[in-house]
Amino acid sequence: MTYDRKNILALTSIMAAFQKAKDLKVLRWVYRRLASITTSVYVLLATAFLYLIGTIFPQGGNYSEYAKTGGRFVWAVDAFELLDFFTSPLFLVCAFILLANLVVCAYDRYPMIFSKGPYPAEFKPTHTFFLTHDIADAHGEVRGILRADLGFKLISKDGSWIVMERGLPYKLLTWLYHLGIIALFLGFILTYLFAFEDKLTLWPGKSNSVAPSVTGRVQYLLGMKPSRGDWVLILDEFMTEYHRSPKLDYPKDKFSRLATGLGWNPPAYILEGETLFPKDWKSAVRVMQGIRMLDQKVIEVNDPMKFGGYTFYQEGFEQRLSVRIDSNPIPLIVKTNEDVYIPGLDHAIRFDTLRNGKLFKLNGETEEIKPYTEIKAAAKDVSGKYEDAGAIAAGGSIQMGGKRITLSDFEEGAVISYRYDPGVPLLWASGIFVLAAMTLRLWGSWHILAYRIDDNDGMVFLDIYVASKGLLADAEKLVKRLEYHLTRYDLKPAQMPPA
Amino acid sequence: MPEINTILSRDSYLLYAELRLFWLVAFVYGMSFALFIIHGATRQSAPGKIGRMLLWLAVSLHIALIVLRTLEAGRAPFQTLYESLSWFACSAALTYLYVSGKWEDIHLPGGIVSGISLGACLYALLARSPAVEPLAPALQSYWFEWHVALAFFSYAVFVVSASIEAICLIVMPFVKRGRRVYGLTINAVDELQTLAHKLVLLGFPLLTFAVLSGAAWANEAWGRYWSWDPKETWSLITWTVFAVYLHSKTIPAMKGLPASVFNLIGFVCMMMTFLGVNWLAKLLGIPSLHVYAV
Repeated sequence: MTYDRKNILALTSIMAAFQKAKDLKVLRWVYRRLASITTSVYVLLATAFLYLIGTIFPQGGNYSEYAKTGGRFVWAVDAFELLDFFTSPLFLVCAFILLANLVVCAYDRYPMIFSKGPYPAEFKPTHTFFLTHDIADAHGEVRGILRADLGFKLISKDGSWIVMERGLPYKLLTWLYHLGIIALFLGFILTYLFAFEDKLTLWPGKSNSVAPSVTGRVQYLLGMKPSRGDWVLILDEFMTEYHRSPKLDYPKDKFSRLATGLGWNPPAYILEGETLFPKDWKSAVRVMQGIRMLDQKVIEVNDPMKFGGYTFYQEGFEQRLSVRIDSNPIPLIVKTNEDVYIPGLDHAIRFDTLRNGKLFKLNGETEEIKPYTEIKAAAKDVSGKYEDAGAIAAGGSIQMGGKRITLSDFEEGAVISYRYDPGVPLLWASGIFVLAAMTLRLWGSWHILAYRIDDNDGMVFLDIYVASKGLLADAEKLVKRLEYHLTRYDLKPAQMPPA
Repeated sequence: MPEINTILSRDSYLLYAELRLFWLVAFVYGMSFALFIIHGATRQSAPGKIGRMLLWLAVSLHIALIVLRTLEAGRAPFQTLYESLSWFACSAALTYLYVSGKWEDIHLPGGIVSGISLGACLYALLARSPAVEPLAPALQSYWFEWHVALAFFSYAVFVVSASIEAICLIVMPFVKRGRRVYGLTINAVDELQTLAHKLVLLGFPLLTFAVLSGAAWANEAWGRYWSWDPKETWSLITWTVFAVYLHSKTIPAMKGLPASVFNLIGFVCMMMTFLGVNWLAKLLGIPSLHVYAV
């Protein structure tokens, strides 16, 4: 029994050792594959293909809607989560392999940054110069020119060739920008795990606390609810600005356009009605804690406000109109661009976006717009179209289907979206880092120069080998400069003696 | 203050002048293209040389046209697709003329570049509205000029690189047999491919800047640096394919034909990012945040 047990134990340990060796072999194979640039090429190609798939299917779309409208790839959409592809397992696995490839490549190449070379022990000369000095003098003089006049540093003088280099440390820069891309990935991962966003509508004078209804993936898994700050946002004023934009009277058909090029059909800008083009939306916002003001800012598109770990963006605006029907004392509160059913009217009506704020005219003048809105009536058929039914100014009335509709008042609120995203600072920093290191690496210059001086039957020759990296590196120009300095220091004859 | 009607008449007249000049530019690009084609068909050097001279003339006129448009609009002239196409055509042809400055009697890539410039001009003139429009709120940013200008500079560089690469691929089977085709030998083709590689090295950091600055701008304007919008995704596809090209150039087994093919695929992806993505989004009914570029 003891013997058997011993045998079994021995067998088990041999199996385990074998398995370990096998595992290590597999691990080594995986490491070798991941450290290879060939793998990078294939993984990048696969990633590009997956990106492409994500542009073919509407991201964020609804699966049942897709199936209902007769989508042709229902099974694939379902199996590969093609409507939310960039968070699907297939895409995430591919992104993970790409990241692993980057990390292993960076780790594998780390020792190379500090190594000399790689360069061959024996170089094939690219240029040869005849020298006038004897070999002992020539060595010192050539080294002096390369160091002092051309800025080269010695790397190796052990072999038959003396190797020197100058320029930006290209291996380090290559390594650094790949490291920067890894940092970009980490930024994306932070966003993916922790970021969340929500929106709120601020109405003038009313305070709103920021209480997100959603949270990040990690917070959700940990059961953490988004914290509600002890501060509130107050909208002091919401402002809209418009340009008056002319329309262009210009033909659409190709022959008429060609005729314009030949001198017929000159185009003409015309002002047709009140064609207003949005110039800006601004929200003057205060952050208050009790009666203490913590911050204030005019939030605009492209100019968000940062406070309390959130960034607040001007997303849009909402309008509420007070409408009186006939002499009814209780006003109807309606939203713009939404259907309204008025008792007595047999079709829905819709109040267009109320125009209000500052108007910038073509001649540089500005004027305050007298608030007005256009009313559209739904067509009586089922076409879903709307017909113009007239415009109504603030305080004014319009007669529709025997009803008198009066716009008695209005209110504008700012739609503010806000976002918590801890990935952004890392993305900013690593993005700048990647760009700087990559530009220096690809555009900057690096030269390696190896030389040897030979005495052949009393004739002294300088053999050089030059190689370069980077767009600004010009090996031929460098050789010309070397030739110039050799001539200047009388090492090279200005003209070769006749044969 | 000038009368509004006076301003409208002035702007209409300027647009009329601009359109006539633009048609003239397209005509000269067309002439240049035709001469490059004749050079390709007859192997005569003279049509190629004249085609190149005409391309210089077209670009000179085109620069004047872009200056006029800038004055007309009072801003950088690449807001609408009409303006972007004009900028793209001019920058591609100008980059080609600069790059090919030292070439002796090599004109074939000029045929592709002038053809692309002609196509871009005709698309702008025949299918897009030339109206000068004010900047939408999302476009009023300090990123606007830098993001778009550098993205288009990278596009111009990639167009020239792909044109050279395509010609190299076409003549390679002939020059490999030791024949001299259109003044090109195997060494000249190698040098041209090195040049195509250098152009991608020039364009790649510019494209990287365009992608990163686009993300930074989106973060300011829309509150999200990346939305997987079709245009954003296609720009990432283009970046990835050119990254594949640059990596394949360092692998001995891939630095020949496979790398050349990757360069051409990168060009196709770039054209998709610029133009095709709008068409694709429209075809598939995918909403895009970049609607102002349509």
